[in-house]
Amino acid sequence: MDFKTTTTGDATEVRLTGRLEFTDHDRLSDLVNLVEQSQARRFVLDLSGLEFIDSAGLGMLLILQDETETRNIKMIVRGPTGDVRRSIELARLTEIITVES
Amino acid sequence: MDAAHHDGTAEPGFRGFTLLRDRMPAELVARVAARFPGTVQDHREGPAATGGQMAAPSMAAPSMADRVGGRAVETLLMERADRDRLRAAFDRGPFLTVELGEGADGAAAPLDDWSGAPAADHPDLPGFYLSLTTGTAYGLQCPVLICDELVRRGALDPQRRSNVELCLHEAVANAIVHGNLGLSSAVKGEPGGYRRFSEMMRDRLGDPAVMRRRLDIFCRWNERCIAIAVVDQGGGFDTELAPATTGNKARSGRGFVFMRTLASRVTVTDGGRCTVLQFDR
Repeated sequence: MDFKTTTTGDATEVRLTGRLEFTDHDRLSDLVNLVEQSQARRFVLDLSGLEFIDSAGLGMLLILQDETETRNIKMIVRGPTGDVRRSIELARLTEIITVES
Repeated sequence: MDAAHHDGTAEPGFRGFTLLRDRMPAELVARVAARFPGTVQDHREGPAATGGQMAAPSMAAPSMADRVGGRAVETLLMERADRDRLRAAFDRGPFLTVELGEGADGAAAPLDDWSGAPAADHPDLPGFYLSLTTGTAYGLQCPVLICDELVRRGALDPQRRSNVELCLHEAVANAIVHGNLGLSSAVKGEPGGYRRFSEMMRDRLGDPAVMRRRLDIFCRWNERCIAIAVVDQGGGFDTELAPATTGNKARSGRGFVFMRTLASRVTVTDGGRCTVLQFDR
């Protein structure tokens, strides 16, 4: 998985590309660091360029949700498509994470 | 209940696998035989005819076809596997593709014995088997390669591929992380546990003995269904604890839920070291 970060107004936006899976635990630390350093009130994860997410990757989304929540930052998952959307829905993460299409 | 017994009972249409005992590293034959009893046959006749084309040197891999009672096994040995080499290997249509790995399975000896064996014509067997070291399997995305090959051989409908690939990915991830690397997800539930988990994973990935452990993937199919067995060499786990459902906030256990939701049948055997996925075709 690769990611690019942009800060726009009150949001930190992170665009993920590639595959988010069990080999990416090190990258999770990088993402949490972004949350820790963020001054913005919203943390947007743009998944429109992500090709695949596995159960470990979904667990990482939940960890990011926790990390943002404790800092009063609103996390938004944006634009998952195809297999990524399928996995998010299958795990019923839409019930606890804000997902925008 | 082991994988073969399970498959044989549920799907009598599956053809058996045949291995030639005197041509395979003994440890490997034992492993396959343990998964699929009745598939290993003694072969005491002369060696296969010589001649035929040799594999590319980088593959270090003679290809062999032999027939016993009308059944055949085509095998490809590789010293070291990567994505391109595996694709090239699959192009040759072998039944068994085995990465020998460094210092594993007494790798050096069989290489000599196998060189010069012919790439003879052989009947298409409804199945194939891939054996990789953990070091290679980690990060290789072998479920993608396996599904590519299942589609290429006409066993997997491209429309159904996505679900099969996710299930296989979860089984392989479990086999690598919880099996061969011996990591428990429990630590992930602790505050900041993901950092600790990440450190533990890096630590295990640096252990040569751990990286030599094998990940074996067996695929076979008939007109009605595909069965894929994923086998590791880890410590196993209490199969009673494999969750059928999990809360949507849980940090782990979701992989099994995916498998149970998307596959027609999931069976865990060998004390948690073997997961058999079955899909309707």
